[in-house]
Amino acid sequence: MTKTDKPPTAGGRSKAAIDPAAATLRKTMGDALVAIGRDRDEHAFALIYNYYAGRIKSFLMGKGMNEDTADELTQEIMLTVWRRAESYDPKKAAASTWLFTIARNRRIDYLRGNSRIEVELDDELLDIRTTESDTQARFVAQEQVADDIDAALAVLPAEQRQVMHLSYFRGMSHGAIANWLDLPIGTVKSRIRLAMQSVKSNLKGEDDVLERDDYLDSE
Amino acid sequence: MSSLQTMSVNHHLTDETIQEYSAGALSVPMETLIACHLTVCAHCRARVERADQIGGFMISASDGVEVSASAADLLQRAKAAGSESSTRSTGPRGDSGNLISGVPRPLGRLLPKPINQLAWKRIAPGIKQFNLDVDTNRKGAFKLLHLTPGATLSDHSHEDRELTYVVRGSYHDEIGHFKTGDIADLDGHHSHKPVIDSKEPCIALIATHSPVRYSGILSRLMQPFVGI
Ligand SMILES: [Zn+2]
Repeated sequence: MTKTDKPPTAGGRSKAAIDPAAATLRKTMGDALVAIGRDRDEHAFALIYNYYAGRIKSFLMGKGMNEDTADELTQEIMLTVWRRAESYDPKKAAASTWLFTIARNRRIDYLRGNSRIEVELDDELLDIRTTESDTQARFVAQEQVADDIDAALAVLPAEQRQVMHLSYFRGMSHGAIANWLDLPIGTVKSRIRLAMQSVKSNLKGEDDVLERDDYLDSE
Repeated sequence: MSSLQTMSVNHHLTDETIQEYSAGALSVPMETLIACHLTVCAHCRARVERADQIGGFMISASDGVEVSASAADLLQRAKAAGSESSTRSTGPRGDSGNLISGVPRPLGRLLPKPINQLAWKRIAPGIKQFNLDVDTNRKGAFKLLHLTPGATLSDHSHEDRELTYVVRGSYHDEIGHFKTGDIADLDGHHSHKPVIDSKEPCIALIATHSPVRYSGILSRLMQPFVGI
C-alpha cells in the first residue's frame, strides 16, 4: 500500500502573500514532468505518483465512481502521464493543471461514454493571437499567474471555496449545487463569479500579454 | 495582420460558463458550442486555461486516498506493455483542414454536408432548422437555425442557460449586435427577441438546458417545433 506524501517543503522563491510551499511544490512537480519527458526519469515519476495518484483517485471518486474503478482509472491516468510527459510544456501550464485536464477528461470519458468536446488546435479558423506570442515572456507570465492564482485561492471565502470544490471535485453542475446546498441558483452562480473574479483581479501580467497581442494583431 | 483571418469577436462567454466547462459539468451540446467560440477567440481560450489552473489547484490542495499500486508497480507494468500503446495518435483525431470551410471543427464534425446542402426543415416564415440532437430524451435543444434576413424570433426566455454561437451573418436584440464568431451566453433572467440584420441568411448554433418559455399564445404553439 502506498500512502500519499505530504507536499515537499524545501526552500524556493517566496514573495509576500505567496505560499512558498505551494510555489515549491509547483516547481518540483513541473521539473519532474519535464524530467520524465526528457529522460524517462523513474525517480521523477515516483515523485509525481506519490503526490498525485491518491489525489487523482479521490478526484475520480468525487463524482460517485466506486473505489475499484477509481483505482484502476488512476493507474491508467498515471500510465498516460508516464507515456505522454514529453507533450507537457512548462511554458504553458503548471504540472497540476496538466494532470487535472487529463484526469477530468478521463473521468468524463468513463462516466459519459464519449469524449469532452474541445478546440482542435489545427483548426484553420483558430484565433492564434496568444498561442503565437513570445514563449519566454509567456513563461514568465505563467509562473507569475500561477503564484497569483494560488495566493488568491488560498484566501477565498469559505462559501466560495465550497461551491468551487463541489463544481471541480464533484463535477456538479451549478443547478445541482444549488439543489444540494438548498440555495437559489442565482446565489450559486454569483459565488462562482466572485471566485473567478478574485482570481482574475490578480492577473495583471496575463492581461498585459493579451493586450499586447491585440495591439500587434491590429497592425 | 496574421495570414489567417481574425474575426472581431465582441461577445464572450461568462465566467460561470467558463468555470462549468472547465469543471466538466456541461453537456455535449454546450461543450460543442463553447469549443466553436474558443476556436475563434484566444481571449476566452486564455480564460479557460486559467479556470483549468484552478482545477489543478483544487486537486493539489485536496487530501489523497490510498492507492493499491506503487509507482514501481506501475513502471513495471509500463515496461511489460512495451511501446504498444505509446504509438497511439496524439493529434486531434488525425485529419487536417476543416471538414466544412468556415465552420469550426467541433461543429463541422456533426454536419453530414456543407451548410447550404443540409436537409433544412422549415418551421416558421423565414426560419428553418437542422436538428443536431441524437439524444431525444434530453430536455434541452441542440440545433442549427437558418434565419432569413429580416426574420424576427418570438420573444422568449429560458429557465437555465441558452447559448447561441453565430456561424454566419448577424442579428441584434435587446442585449447587442451579434456577428460571426460571437457567442450569446444567456441565463434565465434574460428575455430576448432577436432580429436578423445581415444581408445573407444568419446561421446560428443553439443549445439550451431546458425547454423555452414563449410569451405569446401563437409562439407557445410553435414551441415544440422551434425549441429555442
Ligand atoms: Zn470569447
